[in-house]
Amino acid sequence: MAVCIAVIAKENYPLYIRNVPTQNELKFHYTVHTSLDVVEEKISAVGKSLADQRELYLGLLYPTEDYKVYGYVTNSKVKFVIVVDSSNTSLRDNEIRSMFRKLHNSFTDVMCNPFHNPGDQIQSKAFDGIVSGMMMQTG
Amino acid sequence: MAQCVQSVQEFVQDSFVPMVAVLCSEEAERVTRKNNLSFAELLRPFCRLTSEGHIRDPNNQVLVVKNLRICVNNIVTTPNTATAALSPAQKRFLNEVVLSCQPQESAVGSVIATGEYNLNFSATTPWFEAYRENFLQSMPASDHEFLNHYLACLLVVSSTEAVPVEQFIKLSQEQHRIQHSGEYTSPKWFIPNTLKYYVLLHDMGEGDEQRADTVYEDMKQRYGSQGCYLLKINSRTLSTEKDEQIPDPWSQYLHRNSLHSQDTLDDVTVNSGPVENSINSDEVVGQNSTEKDTVSNNLDGHPLQLDSGSSSASKKATRESDNTSGGTGSHGTCLSLNDHDHIRQFIQEFTSRGLLSHIEKNIRQLNDQLVSRKGLSRSLFTATKKWFGGGKVPEKSISEPKSTFGLLYPPEAPELQIRKMADLCFLVQHYELAYNCYHTAKKDFLSDQAMLYAAGALEMAAVAAFLQAGAPRPYPAHYMDTAIQTYRDVCKNMVLAERCALLSAEILKSQGKYSEAAALLIKMTSEDSDLRSALLLEQAAHCFINMKNPMIRKFAFHMILSGHRFSKAGQKRHALRCYCQAMQVYKDRGWSLAEDHINFTIGRQSFTLRQPENAVTAFRQILTNDSRQTATQQAAFLREYLFVHKSVMGGDGVSLPQLPLPCIHSSVTRIYFGHERCLAEGEKQAATHVSLDQEYDQDLAAMWCNLEEQLVASANRGSIPVNFQPTQYCLNSQTDNQRHPLAVVEEPIIVEVTFRNPLKVPLALSNLSLLWKFTADSSPNDRTTPQSTVEPITNEETLATGENQKDDIVTTETILNFHLSPEETKTARLRLLPHRTGQLNIVGVVYSLSESSAGETPPSTDAQQTIDLMVCGKQDLNIQGLRLNQTKEDKMSVKHGPDRRLDPIITPSMPLMEVFFLQFPTALLCGEIRKAYVEFCNVSSVALCGLRVVSTHPDFFTFGSQATTPVTPLTPTSAENCSAYKTLATPPQLDSVASEVLVSAEVFSQFSSVMDIPIEGGTLLPGESTQLPLWLRGPDQEGVHEINFLFYYESTEKRNKISHRVLRHTVFICASRSLSVQASASRSSVPPHHSTKEKGSSGTLVFIDVENINTSESGVREFHIIQVSSSSQHWRLQDCINPAREKDCKLGSRERAKLCFRATRCKPPRATSDTVKKYTFADLNLGNERIISSSTPCGDFFFRCRRTPALSRTSSSTKSQGTASSENKADDITNIVKKCNELDLNIIVIWKAYVVEDNKQLILEGQLHVALQSLGKEATSLAPKEEAQEMVLLKFKSELPVPVPPPSAELSQLIKTNLHYPEIYTHPFGHNSLCLVPVTLSLSNCSMALVDVLIDLQHKSNSPESEVHHSFTWVGQTQYKLQLKPQEVLALTLRACFLQAGVYNLNTPRILAKPTEQMSLSETSQQTASPALIIINKA
Repeated sequence: MAVCIAVIAKENYPLYIRNVPTQNELKFHYTVHTSLDVVEEKISAVGKSLADQRELYLGLLYPTEDYKVYGYVTNSKVKFVIVVDSSNTSLRDNEIRSMFRKLHNSFTDVMCNPFHNPGDQIQSKAFDGIVSGMMMQTG
Repeated sequence: MAQCVQSVQEFVQDSFVPMVAVLCSEEAERVTRKNNLSFAELLRPFCRLTSEGHIRDPNNQVLVVKNLRICVNNIVTTPNTATAALSPAQKRFLNEVVLSCQPQESAVGSVIATGEYNLNFSATTPWFEAYRENFLQSMPASDHEFLNHYLACLLVVSSTEAVPVEQFIKLSQEQHRIQHSGEYTSPKWFIPNTLKYYVLLHDMGEGDEQRADTVYEDMKQRYGSQGCYLLKINSRTLSTEKDEQIPDPWSQYLHRNSLHSQDTLDDVTVNSGPVENSINSDEVVGQNSTEKDTVSNNLDGHPLQLDSGSSSASKKATRESDNTSGGTGSHGTCLSLNDHDHIRQFIQEFTSRGLLSHIEKNIRQLNDQLVSRKGLSRSLFTATKKWFGGGKVPEKSISEPKSTFGLLYPPEAPELQIRKMADLCFLVQHYELAYNCYHTAKKDFLSDQAMLYAAGALEMAAVAAFLQAGAPRPYPAHYMDTAIQTYRDVCKNMVLAERCALLSAEILKSQGKYSEAAALLIKMTSEDSDLRSALLLEQAAHCFINMKNPMIRKFAFHMILSGHRFSKAGQKRHALRCYCQAMQVYKDRGWSLAEDHINFTIGRQSFTLRQPENAVTAFRQILTNDSRQTATQQAAFLREYLFVHKSVMGGDGVSLPQLPLPCIHSSVTRIYFGHERCLAEGEKQAATHVSLDQEYDQDLAAMWCNLEEQLVASANRGSIPVNFQPTQYCLNSQTDNQRHPLAVVEEPIIVEVTFRNPLKVPLALSNLSLLWKFTADSSPNDRTTPQSTVEPITNEETLATGENQKDDIVTTETILNFHLSPEETKTARLRLLPHRTGQLNIVGVVYSLSESSAGETPPSTDAQQTIDLMVCGKQDLNIQGLRLNQTKEDKMSVKHGPDRRLDPIITPSMPLMEVFFLQFPTALLCGEIRKAYVEFCNVSSVALCGLRVVSTHPDFFTFGSQATTPVTPLTPTSAENCSAYKTLATPPQLDSVASEVLVSAEVFSQFSSVMDIPIEGGTLLPGESTQLPLWLRGPDQEGVHEINFLFYYESTEKRNKISHRVLRHTVFICASRSLSVQASASRSSVPPHHSTKEKGSSGTLVFIDVENINTSESGVREFHIIQVSSSSQHWRLQDCINPAREKDCKLGSRERAKLCFRATRCKPPRATSDTVKKYTFADLNLGNERIISSSTPCGDFFFRCRRTPALSRTSSSTKSQGTASSENKADDITNIVKKCNELDLNIIVIWKAYVVEDNKQLILEGQLHVALQSLGKEATSLAPKEEAQEMVLLKFKSELPVPVPPPSAELSQLIKTNLHYPEIYTHPFGHNSLCLVPVTLSLSNCSMALVDVLIDLQHKSNSPESEVHHSFTWVGQTQYKLQLKPQEVLALTLRACFLQAGVYNLNTPRILAKPTEQMSLSETSQQTASPALIIINKA
């Protein structure tokens, strides 16, 4: 489904990045990093209209030639970014949304771990499993 | 998009200017050449009109033309046609332009701070502007537009010409030929009848001015005053007015070209260094060829290759003059300021009179044509076109309707006329009309599907709309988008598309639409031109950062893309700059992968640009980061780093560079002073001392420190010096490192450095050694030189140059190869051997770093390479001290104390002692005595003295006392099978009576735990060694015991920094169970007359239970008790009353034996005080040899074992005494009572154990001690097992001690009574019915106090049993009151009266006693002995 899933801390450093074609890691890093600009833009836009605070899903951040980048921001300003192959047309907005929700839940579990130091890289098998599940389905 | 110098309007206007061609006669060319300039070049600085021009539009409205610029060019004819792409030569030229325009290093960029980012970058991009300017100028003239077609032609003839007029005609004909013969497709001309403007050039320097004037008059006649001009130049002569400063307006137009070519030449020479990469050499070739082009291909080059011939000539000339005269004022040297004015006037005249009126005329003409054609309806117009198909569209091929150009109009087609008029209007700034025309043209072209034309019209319509003052309509951005798309996709003309995009982006930028501009620019990037893509991406990046909400990350990302394209285009400097700017965004934000990539690229680019320092820094970043790269990637990084580093180092080897790898954990660095020790060599066992292999243990360190304090105290007569510091041989992060450690000259210093390899590839270090700095002590003979002049010596240079090291000061050991596996942490031990006294500072480590070639690389070819890739460098050891936390200031701020671990002071030589142990056991039975030998060896060149030792277990060993040391063979070998004891052979005695020896305790004991070691003479000379016997006794508790010895010695010379030295030794002794001895004593009830020899009442029985509790089945076969000795101040064992009489008491496994002895008081001691402390040793041997227990091993251990409890007891008793005097008297009673029961008899049980070991029988000996403190209490040799303390409730109030009632049970033992009477008494009752029997009651006072005794004979016991019918009565005095002195024995004679025969119990008297002093106390009834039966027989 997704080709790259990233969790980025409030201070915009990566907490977690996984991508499926592992050989092109650098490219995904650049893509995700660049998408943060759009995320910030969207957050600041949301800030103006307070009514819409509840919506954490940011939608499609920007399309590139090969990929579509989706964003999601938690209330604590932790960002989730999912990169999806452009050729994958079967994915609809709702499914992306549910992926983010799942990711968010798992992330919350990670944060609830009393041994996790907030701000550290995420090293959780459960989280890994969830992420792998989201990436696996493309086969 | 970056900020530009020009405003948008200026930029767009200047992009489209009227073009004027120049045709020069050769003579005229010669005249201008004097100034190093061609005619066109001569005019160029003055081509902008300073005054306003005027023009009338078709409606006769006067329009003001402001700030008009014209472009004057030499005619260059080429046969080739316009293409959709730039020629390679042009590309190279543009490349060169960009290359030459570099940002100044010192230029302060603008700083943008958004959020957490602080970016520093240059807001202007002059290279882009230069590129754009040159790109627009080099646009090939195209058929679909007329903007860069020549509008006019200047015909220039010199006045020196023989017949100037003829020349004019000739030139005019040539112009006509170029335009109309069809020979040349370029240059292109705007209108068929081009404006010809005749210029007569007069050289003031040489020609006749009169003649020129006449010729001019003639010309006026011929061409009209508006069509010709007389230009007078060269009024300045070189020789006369040299000093006059003339501004050089040409330089900014021309000089740049030459400059940059020079610059590139410099680059070439610079780059042709040893390391050359392919792109670089490409560049060189490119440049060379460009130059060749410009020099030779005068006609082959592009038509608008600006006067290439002359410019290159001038370039050459300038370069030459640059070389000769420093490059100042090389242009226009013959032109005075007046001449400048002349030229300016000329342009003014030409433009306003000639050009503008020509344009005005043409506009009018075209307008008329169009108006006349307006009658025809458009539909009809197009219909006809279709009907007559091909007439007007001759080249439209039906088969491919959307070919590259769509269709081509013939030059005179009416659609083009509109376009032509629009262009003319545009050129003279009549934007409104231009827009309308463009708009109309666009519609026509679109309906004709002439896409190229349509796109051109759209583009210009948009530009015109933008430039319209007052802006009646908004800027139609979609026009531009369509135009770009059409150019690019339909026409495949990237050049035009690019022009369009540049214009559009600039316009969008001016309107603040940055994101649109960025999108546009990004869209224009393509594979065909790296340079263009790079520049446009960079501009796009600037767009992102200039947005209202700056998009920093997008900026960074596009900068990286741009940098990539720049590097592909060979623009290394620009590429580097881009990456550096992007780096600011990525740096230290956790995006390590990206950061590594950027750093790597920066490193490479810097290196190829000969900035190796930057390259090294960048590469170092990659290697020190905790990188997430793969192993192969890291290997590549490392190799690159080494390569770059290697090339940087190059020649100068004076200062070693800092290396980033491997990481050094400075804080865990350990330093050890002294020789490395070889622990075991054969039988000899060296003292363990301290070594680097031991882990630091806080508790142990405290223990050693405590021991050392004891030693020092004993050496200094009981007090510890104020400046005492415990000796530290091994310093680490936990030790106290505030002071400089002291090292001894000629003794090695070992530094253990911990390296960590952070990479996933192995590293190989070689020639690893320490880097030090040494400051020698100022020796007394050069006292004249102040301290400050003593230069510190360092071994850095010698290491760098590879010379032999400064071994005369400090010998530095080198580790040749040190291999670090991937991600390994490893320690290296490096040695230094100082040879002089002074201050040594260990600064760091020096090593050569190289990739490890182990395994991976094939050895054949890479061997050479790996040797090459070896970099020598250093790393400093910086150790931060502990954080200070003493004062308030320290607590407020973070301060760190000094850590002087690595700064030892080298002191003069000190003695060094080695201690060896011989025959030292590892396992002992509890209480076993073993003899071992210890050897002290002075291995230094200085004598030592004051040898002492202290141990944690002082009862474990003894050196024996001088006085009683048995004469044993001194050498260990001969003493193999001897007993450790001093024995005397005695024949077995039947009545074994103990032999006694009186010994003073002082003979044995040094009462502190510190022992002086009795070596002969007290000193050990250099090289000397001495051996001493040592007795060991197994600890009383089973288990493994760690026993620590600390040996102390000092130098015979006193004035040294180090007062003493110590040597540590730790042994582990495994003690296994042997025997358990339990002893108890009880008062014997034997009447005194039985013990005839003894007067006193004090017969005490001692029962000793001995049990074999050894558990090992294989080892000990049996124990023999061979002797029991006693030692006490007051008591002694007298004899053995073993009923079995078996002499040797054997004990098999788990057997138990009981021995019984009688103890008596010693002979009353003489009143002298010193004898009080004397101990009586009494030996009772059960075998046939007597061990003298008072002599060395036995007595020593007795006292040693005794000391610890004795000391503690005395201290506690003194405490109680202090309080007793003022306290209640109950204490006194208990004291008295205690005294009464006190025994204080120590039993020593000496045994032999027969042990089978390796089929050999061994006899082990040992002794166990039991201290009998009081009567009736059982004492044991085994220490009472520590009962696990039960959990008790915490008590917060200390409970008041409950006053103890006087122990009646003990008080009842004050008096010992004995009845003496005949056991059987026969009385003739028939004869005398009353039988009187005398009975003696002996009372002995057991206590040491006066006792009042009350004897009541009449007492009736109230027990029913005693109510005997046949009772007896005491006759005579029935109640006695007596006072007994301490220890007094008193006999009372009583009489008992019996009435009949029978058995009677005489023990009926009740005896009450109390200490006399205790008035308050009531008498206590004394314990009575067992029934005393008397048998009265009837006779």
